[in-house]
Amino acid sequence: MSSTSQKHKEFVAEPMGEKLVNALAGIGEVLGKRLEEKGFDKAYVVLGQFLVLKKDEELFRDWLKDTCGANVKQQGDCYGCLREWCDSFL
Amino acid sequence: MAALRNKSDQEIKDLLNEYGIKHGPLVDTTRPLYEKKLKEAMAKAKVPVTKPSPDRTFYREDQEEVTYVTYQTPVRSEGPSGDGKPYMRSRPEYSERDRVDDKPYSRSRPEYSERDRVDDKPYSRSRPEYSERDRVDDKLYSRSRPEYSSGRPYVDEPHVYNTLSSSSYSKPTPVVKSGGGVVKKENTTSSGRLIPLWIQFLVFLILAGFLYFIFTNMESAESSPFNRIQ
Repeated sequence: MSSTSQKHKEFVAEPMGEKLVNALAGIGEVLGKRLEEKGFDKAYVVLGQFLVLKKDEELFRDWLKDTCGANVKQQGDCYGCLREWCDSFL
Repeated sequence: MAALRNKSDQEIKDLLNEYGIKHGPLVDTTRPLYEKKLKEAMAKAKVPVTKPSPDRTFYREDQEEVTYVTYQTPVRSEGPSGDGKPYMRSRPEYSERDRVDDKPYSRSRPEYSERDRVDDKPYSRSRPEYSERDRVDDKLYSRSRPEYSSGRPYVDEPHVYNTLSSSSYSKPTPVVKSGGGVVKKENTTSSGRLIPLWIQFLVFLILAGFLYFIFTNMESAESSPFNRIQ
């Protein structure tokens, strides 16, 4: 039984548009800042990376960990959020 | 071979295919990730030569399981890699004990897991760990790990009755006679197999009280001549 957070639900409910990277589930202030420093300032840029990694879970998780130091839970939340968004809108 | 940075995209892709690493297009944002994966895969390829020997000396019985785990550690070094290996080693050992424990005490496991659920509130995590280790430590692994020996300080007191707490399957009943009836009943009603920690504690308290009672009786015997004089 997956328990998705409020953030997750809000994100997957609509097209992401110009939402900031903080809007992603699992990405809070600290991780968001790190991602922005690396150039991933908007959610769609992270989406781009997700797609370039062929939506593969392991690759995306590793990439997220390397880029902003996300822990296992955060990686999972972000991955799930993006995957579900893609299922609905891509 | 070490200068992955200098290789062309095509070479990196070829290497990824060679190691069987699933990958997407090689872009500037994905390149560092793939380089890292290749580095890990190369390090892992060297692992079989050096790793298994220290682990084999550690475990006589279940070598395969341990070496399997050490294969995983280079790939999934989530936390500090230095801590990763001993930590991972203790994990299979923990699950290994699960299996190994099964042989002498074939009934113990299901009861124990039941117990786990029953006693969930006060002793959720640390307790079952402790009591499980406690049992196995006594039986099979004579060279006890430091964590286990440090985890039994309060058992040391009744040194004569050390076996009481450590292997509390059938032994407590002959040792503790006065509280034996109570203990036995508690045993059969609650688990019948692995006695949970709170029962052990209770037995220990009863025993300590019993000893104290005997001790005070002894003292009173000694003091009787004093009474006489007075």
